[in-house]
Amino acid sequence: MTVIASGTDLIPRMRKRQIAPSVLVDISSFQDDLRYIRQSDQVVRLGALATLTDVLESPVFKDELSILHEAAGLFGAPQVRNVATVGGNVCSATSSEDLIPVFMALGASLKLIGAEGERITPLKEFIVGKRTTAMRSSEILAEIQFEYPRERSWTGFEKLGRRNMLFISLVSMALSLSLEKDFAVRSARVALNRVAGRIPDLAEKTEDFLVGRKLSEETIAQAQTVLASELALTSDFRGSATYRTEVAKVFLKRLLQRCYGKIRGLA
Amino acid sequence: MAKRVVTMNVNGTVHSVQVNSPDRLIDVLRDHLGLKSVKEGCGTGDCGICAVLVDGKLVNSCLMLAGQCDGRRAMTLEGLLDDPTMKKLQASFVANSAAQCGFCTPAMLMASWDLARRSNGPSTDEIKVAISGILCRCTGYYQIIDSIRQGCREGEP
Amino acid sequence: MSEQVSLLLESLREKAERGSLLYIGENIARIDSLEKVLGKPVYTSDLIPKGTIYAKLFHSSVPHGKIKGMELGTAKAHPGVLGVLTWRDIPGLNESSAVLPDRQLFAESIVRSTADILGAVVAETLASAADAAARIKVDYESLPAIFDPLESLRPDALKIHPKGNIARQMKIRKGDVQDGFSKSDVILEKTYRTQFQDATPLEPEMGLAIPEDGGIKIIGSMQSPHHTQAAVAKVLKLPPEKVRVIQAVTGGAFGPKSDETPFDVCSTAALAAMKYRRPVFCGLDREDSMVMHTKRHPFVISHKTGVTSDGRLLADESRIVGDTGAYASLGVFVIVRATFHTTGAYEVPNVKADSYLVYTNNTYTGSLRGFGGPQAIFAIESQIEELARKLGMDPLEFRLKNMLVPGKKSATGALMDASCGLPQCVEKVVTSSDYWRKVAQYRNQTGNIRRGLGTALLMHGNSLGPEGNDYGAVHMEIESDGTISVGTGLTEYGTGAVSGMMQVASSVLGVPLARFKLERPDTSKHRESGPTVASRVVVIGGNAAFKAAEQLKNRLVPLAGELLNVRREDIVIADGVVFDRHSPSVSISWDILISEAYRRGIGLREDGFFMAPAAPWDLETGQGTPYVQYTWGALVVEVEVDTDTGYYNVIGVHAAYDVGKAVNPGGVLGQIYGGTVQGLGYAMMEELLHKDGFVVNPNLADYYIPTSMDIPSEFKAFIVEVPGPLGPFGAKIIAEPPIVLPAPAVRNAVLNATGVSVDDLPVTSEKVLMGAALKRSSPTLGQPRA
Repeated sequence: MTVIASGTDLIPRMRKRQIAPSVLVDISSFQDDLRYIRQSDQVVRLGALATLTDVLESPVFKDELSILHEAAGLFGAPQVRNVATVGGNVCSATSSEDLIPVFMALGASLKLIGAEGERITPLKEFIVGKRTTAMRSSEILAEIQFEYPRERSWTGFEKLGRRNMLFISLVSMALSLSLEKDFAVRSARVALNRVAGRIPDLAEKTEDFLVGRKLSEETIAQAQTVLASELALTSDFRGSATYRTEVAKVFLKRLLQRCYGKIRGLA
Repeated sequence: MAKRVVTMNVNGTVHSVQVNSPDRLIDVLRDHLGLKSVKEGCGTGDCGICAVLVDGKLVNSCLMLAGQCDGRRAMTLEGLLDDPTMKKLQASFVANSAAQCGFCTPAMLMASWDLARRSNGPSTDEIKVAISGILCRCTGYYQIIDSIRQGCREGEP
Repeated sequence: MSEQVSLLLESLREKAERGSLLYIGENIARIDSLEKVLGKPVYTSDLIPKGTIYAKLFHSSVPHGKIKGMELGTAKAHPGVLGVLTWRDIPGLNESSAVLPDRQLFAESIVRSTADILGAVVAETLASAADAAARIKVDYESLPAIFDPLESLRPDALKIHPKGNIARQMKIRKGDVQDGFSKSDVILEKTYRTQFQDATPLEPEMGLAIPEDGGIKIIGSMQSPHHTQAAVAKVLKLPPEKVRVIQAVTGGAFGPKSDETPFDVCSTAALAAMKYRRPVFCGLDREDSMVMHTKRHPFVISHKTGVTSDGRLLADESRIVGDTGAYASLGVFVIVRATFHTTGAYEVPNVKADSYLVYTNNTYTGSLRGFGGPQAIFAIESQIEELARKLGMDPLEFRLKNMLVPGKKSATGALMDASCGLPQCVEKVVTSSDYWRKVAQYRNQTGNIRRGLGTALLMHGNSLGPEGNDYGAVHMEIESDGTISVGTGLTEYGTGAVSGMMQVASSVLGVPLARFKLERPDTSKHRESGPTVASRVVVIGGNAAFKAAEQLKNRLVPLAGELLNVRREDIVIADGVVFDRHSPSVSISWDILISEAYRRGIGLREDGFFMAPAAPWDLETGQGTPYVQYTWGALVVEVEVDTDTGYYNVIGVHAAYDVGKAVNPGGVLGQIYGGTVQGLGYAMMEELLHKDGFVVNPNLADYYIPTSMDIPSEFKAFIVEVPGPLGPFGAKIIAEPPIVLPAPAVRNAVLNATGVSVDDLPVTSEKVLMGAALKRSSPTLGQPRA
């Protein structure tokens, strides 16, 4: 069963004859049920049909959560943002979907609804391979949820491509940093559009390295080295593996410094 | 090829059209309803030349299947020819030499009109964002931006 | 008399003083602006009548091979399909070529690139034609292929065409380069490379053919209706008079629509129309367009240049190699322009150049705005910058010392005269960019964000020059209601040039442009006017329009004199009022004059024709005057580079172009802005890539042209006017020149900001960072000293 929400990913692929679904199930009319952005208690929930414009304009995504505002603003163009959905982004499961690293950095889980009922699954486990998810047949993605960042946390996003707008990320990174009272790293989530394959993923070795350490020029430089060793990027016509790795290292340093600075600034 | 009937409000009038399933909104508008101001530049949503307003939002009409348009409201340039804001924008485009080959002009005007509704006196940066999804190969955008700024009443340079 | 009337009379008196310059220099609204802002259905795909069938071209899936067989049965049996056209269906010549007859319309036995067209599926709908085309199976015997033009040049290289791989060769022999080198203190040898650029007109190529009167009527998106007519007539084996070609309003062109692609789509549509006796639409979607239409030639240009220690250029030797892909098309002229511009806007006493237009099995390249100029100027301007660095001289200072000014001679030995406005252009941009202060300031930068300025100078030979007879024809007719109807084979496709040409006529005649109307270019009505290329409409067409308007005026002035009882010399026509220059209240309206002319049977139709003087040059030495006049320009750009990632933006552009006389300044600025932004795309982000002969990114998601977010926040454009000998009122061309300078200026600005020399386009962030990695140990990063 091929589900269509906006079609911004599906329709170009159909035209290029990459896929030829005989039936499309259009869920875009479930606006009331599936299009929302809510924060209650410490949980943020986005209905799968929330558009990128909804994300860009939502008052929820500021301060510690401004990462979603940043990422949405760099996503596509106004016409695409107006219809592209967060659910569609996640289910496309490719490295050109910027929101996947962002939700990974936020530690998101997905609520899937199907004939057998509801289930919750971590986003990281949902993305199995390029354009392959752990979705069961007759299931749809209903909601993306994550916990509101704890105190002394901040998030950030960086992406780079061939021009300033409307580009496929050569490298994109989403980082979520959380510090202890003594400012040692309590937790770090480092997600990239590609780590060691051609899908978005978390750089877990880098994350593990950072936990418990106090951030300094030296520890950041060491984290960059760990990241470089963890990344197994490929070269293609958009850019070489060497260059992508170099940019990823720069982003790691920038995002760590920025998030750290924001947390310390607030402390 | 499966056929279906789609009922939608286009430029203020309700139409019921019989379409082929793979038809897109742009096909409904151009071929079934004769609204030729809507242009096709790439068919893959990368150029914005086909931009129209659907339920009040700017969208790429090449990326919306006809089947998804049932019950919706679409607006093209033809539906705004008597609108005073649009006329002001059009006059500004002419005065500022903003239409060269003219192929992106309808989409640029739709985006400008949409911006004019939402913002009184947009800045250059706001204008650039509003048209960031519409490619122009002829003008380099400068005269289009000037046209929009002037056409949207006063704004900072 | 009332104040209003006396003001009007004063205004008429003042306008009488201006003579034929009446409307020159005015920002009069273009003749075709209104239909565009109203979204009128005037483009080819808007004109498809009911009952039209569709032809979808299908092309090769190997870069080089022999066709062993084609399985067409499945396609033919597909629902909605009427048939499949191949070479067997061509009654006339199976040819679709601009100059050299090296390319077939439908490949018969051999394919030389993945863009080679094999045939067309004709069906009731575009969807069924496309579905059927996807089901065609072709059996090839693959042949070895060449994708590197330098490999193609080797004497033992596999032959892509029977006559060999060099489609054209050119040379320049001026002075004695060996002598020049022997006297040089510093010699620099470097090689520069440029990439395939796609023109990306927002409307792809398309044609509509309708059987008519035993012949065929074709409406299409194109630059040259008469060339299309000739091409289609050859294929259909019809006399040209039976093939009527009309240019529809065209959504951008930039070169490919003056090359072979319009022949392909129009010939195919015509073939199908004749066969099935129905209107046929043949159009390329974006992907097909990017695979099949001509691209900009990638060039490999090596310079060996000698200078004295005080910065005087003594000798330059260049080898210029252009990759024309599988077919030559208009590449045979691209190589000519590139060669003549090999030393750019500089005087070099000794010049040796050898250029080669070579075939490869890449998709073919041809006409694209700039036409060899961007490539040649990128190479020489980069070389100039490197030489300055090597000498420890400021790059602008070095340019000032060597640039062409009146009295100096070009690479072809042509003497620059007073019409050379280069110094004025340089002065404007140096002042505007605050060059000297910023260069000094940027010598001491810290932190990862670095800024830099880059300069480039332009010399651009006007019009067709050495490419052949350079003429234009304009027909003008006054209708009984006073409307002036203009018809020409020259085409408008966004440049505003045709409107500019009509503004010339309007100015000469004294009647506002609003009273004019333009007929759609139509081979059955309008004389052959040569191709609408080389930015020549205002210069060549403008002269023809000037003549036609003058001739019409000469028919009307005697009548006016008689009606007003005024001497002919004192008759003035301005703003549609016909009056006595000494006493403007003695007047009649244009409408009354025309009515009377009609009543008396005075003929009001004129043809204006203009042919530019021949541009003679010697084949062996390249010496002579290949161009009758030049457009000059200067560009300073400022970049801001994030040296951690290599990513940069152009934050300031200062551009000045000597256009001789700006007929419509708003239109000239439009060309400067638009051409510069297209040039920035070429400089920074555009790259149509081939891998083993296949276009890797034939789409707008992976081929990047500038968006509104990529344009420099500061853009100061200056129009310089130093009249030239060729155009009306001294006008020079402007449509192509602005695309030339951004690439070298950006490249040089990045060099000055980071110390990194990027010698192959585009200048991507990766090249900047990877180059910087090599320079990180150097303490002289960002400084223009050796």
